[in-house]
Amino acid sequence: MTDATLAEADARALEALRRKNSITRRLLRDPPAALALGFLVVVLLGAVLAPWVAPHDPFASSMRLRLKAPGFVSPDGALYLLGTDAQGRDMLSRILYGLRATIGIGAIAVLCGGGLGVLIGTLAAYYRRLDTPLMRFIDVLLSFPSILFGLALAAVLGPGLFSLCVALSIAAIPTIARVARGAATVVMQQDYMEAGRALGLGDGALIWRYLLLNCGSTILIYATLQLGQSILLGSVLSFLGLGPQPPFAELGNMTADGRKFLQAFPHVATIPALTIFFIVLAFNVLGDALRDALDPKLRQ
Amino acid sequence: MKTDTRGAMDDVFALIVQRLIISIPVLLGVLLIGFLLLQVVPTDPAIILAGPTASQAEVEAIRQQLGLDRPLWEQFGLYLLRVLQFDLGRSMISNRPVLDELQATLGPTFELMLACLVWAIPAGIVLGTQAARRRGQWTDRVIMAFSVAGVSMPIFVVGLLLIQYVGGAGLLPFQGRGGPLWTSTGLLHIILPALTLGAVFIGPVARMTRTSVLETLGADYVRTARAKGASERQVVLRHALRNALIPVITLIGLQIGFLLGGAVVTETMYSWPGVGRMAVGAISSSDFPVAQGAIMVLAVSFIAINLVVDVFYGYLDPRIGQR
Repeated sequence: MTDATLAEADARALEALRRKNSITRRLLRDPPAALALGFLVVVLLGAVLAPWVAPHDPFASSMRLRLKAPGFVSPDGALYLLGTDAQGRDMLSRILYGLRATIGIGAIAVLCGGGLGVLIGTLAAYYRRLDTPLMRFIDVLLSFPSILFGLALAAVLGPGLFSLCVALSIAAIPTIARVARGAATVVMQQDYMEAGRALGLGDGALIWRYLLLNCGSTILIYATLQLGQSILLGSVLSFLGLGPQPPFAELGNMTADGRKFLQAFPHVATIPALTIFFIVLAFNVLGDALRDALDPKLRQ
Repeated sequence: MKTDTRGAMDDVFALIVQRLIISIPVLLGVLLIGFLLLQVVPTDPAIILAGPTASQAEVEAIRQQLGLDRPLWEQFGLYLLRVLQFDLGRSMISNRPVLDELQATLGPTFELMLACLVWAIPAGIVLGTQAARRRGQWTDRVIMAFSVAGVSMPIFVVGLLLIQYVGGAGLLPFQGRGGPLWTSTGLLHIILPALTLGAVFIGPVARMTRTSVLETLGADYVRTARAKGASERQVVLRHALRNALIPVITLIGLQIGFLLGGAVVTETMYSWPGVGRMAVGAISSSDFPVAQGAIMVLAVSFIAINLVVDVFYGYLDPRIGQR
C-alpha cells in the first residue's frame, strides 16, 4: 500500500470514529435524552403551528360548553380532546397557544438576558481589568432569588407581559455570563488570538471574529438549556398573577385560572401544569445528557 | 491555643464584613425600588394628610414639612432616613402602619421554612447516600429520576397535586395556618405547605450528596477504613458521608435563599399568612406601601440568611476562613 492510500484510510477511520462519538450520536444512543429531544421538537412544532393546528378558537367562550371533561363531543359533533375550561374554551387550543406564549416569553428572556450575559462574559474574559468588577456584579445577580426580581418589577411596572420579560431576562444574565466567560477564557489562551493580534486586528474584530465565533456553540447549548429554567420561572411568576393577564393564554396563568375548580374539574388546572412540568423535565434530561456528552471526565 | 481561636474569630469577622460590603449594592437597589414604588402612588399624601377642608396654603405647608417639594434625590435621602427608623409608611387599604402588618407575617414565613428544612434536608441526604452506595443499580436510577423530576417541577404543580389528592380527600387541611405549632391543629395545617416547599428542595440536596459521597467513597481514607475492617455501615456513615457533607451544606446555604422564593408561591397557594403572600396580595391590589415593605423584608431576610450560612460554613470548615 502506498503512503497516500494509508493516509486516506487513516482519515476515513478517524472520520468514522468522530462521527460515532459525535454529540448528536451520543445523545441519540441515550434513550431518555432522545425521548426528551423528540418531545421538545413536537412541543415546539405545536407552539409554532398553533394557529394552523388548533382545532378551535382559543378565546371563543361558550356558556353551554363550560367545564367539559377531556374527550367531550359537543352536540354538533365537534371534539374537545382535552375538554373545556370555565368559560367553555377548548383546552387543547388554549394549551397550544399557551405553549406559544410560555416558550416565546422564555425565548425572549434568553435572547435579551443571554445577549447581555454573553457581552458581560466575553468582556470579562477579554479585558482582564474588567474581570473582577463584572463578575462580582454577576455574583450579586446570581445570589438574588429571581422570584424577588419578578415581584419587584411587577410592583414597579405593574404586572404584565413586559415586566415578566424584563424579570426573566435579568434572571437569565448570570448563568450565561458565567458560561461565556468560561468558554472565552479558554479561547483567549489559543495561539490564533495571539496571531490575530500580531496581524494588527483591533479589539472589536478580535472579540467578534475570533472570540465569539469560537465559543458560540458552547454558549448556544447552555442558552438552550437556560430556556428550560426561564420557562419554569416564567410560569411560576405568571401563576402568581404577575405576568400577562387573562384572557391571554399562558400555561402559568391557565393553571392559576383552573385552581378554583380543582376539586370538581381537575383537568382545567392539571393539564397546563403537567405540560410545563414535562417541558422543563425534557430540558433538564437533555441538559444532563449534553453535559455528560461534553464532559468526558464524567462519562464512565 | 488562645491566639488560635482569636485568629479564627478575626477570620469570621472579616468574612462577615466582606459579605456585608457585597450586600450594600443589593440593599441600595432594593431601597431604590421601594422608593420608586412610593412615587407610583397616584394620590398626593399631603392632600390626604391635610384633610378635605384644608386650604391650598395648608397643603403647601404640609408638602414642605414632608419634603415633597425637594428634588427627588433629596427625597430619596429622606426616605432612607425614615426606613432606618423603621418607618415604612401606612397601608393604603387598611391605613395601618406597614411595619405592624409585616410583623405579624414574619413568624409564619420563618415557621414554614423551618418545617420544610426539618424534613427535606435529612430526606435528601439519606436518598443521596443510598443512591451513591448503590451506584448504577435500580435504586440509584429511581432516586436520581425522582430528583430530576423534583428539579423540573414548578412548585405550584406539587402544591396543586397535594391539594387535589391529599387535601381534597379530606386527609389534611390546606387552608391557612391552624395556630401555634405545638397544638395539633397547628401541626396538621403546616404539613402540606411544608411538604410542597420541601419537595423542590430534596432533588438538589440528593444530587449533591450523591456526587459528593461518590467522591469520598473513592478516597484513600475510605480504603484504609475498609482495610482495617470497619463495617460497611461505619465506612459509609463515619468516613464517607461525614466528609461529603461540606459541599452539601454549601448547596443548602445557596438554596435557602431560593427557598424564600418558593415560600412566596407556597404561601399564596395555601393562604399561609406569611410575607410572601402579603407581597403578592399587595402587588395585585396596588397597595404600594405594603408591597414596598414586604419586598424589602424579603430582600433583607435573604441577605441575612446568606450571612448566617456563610458564618456557619466558615465555622464548620476552618479552611474557608483562612483563604
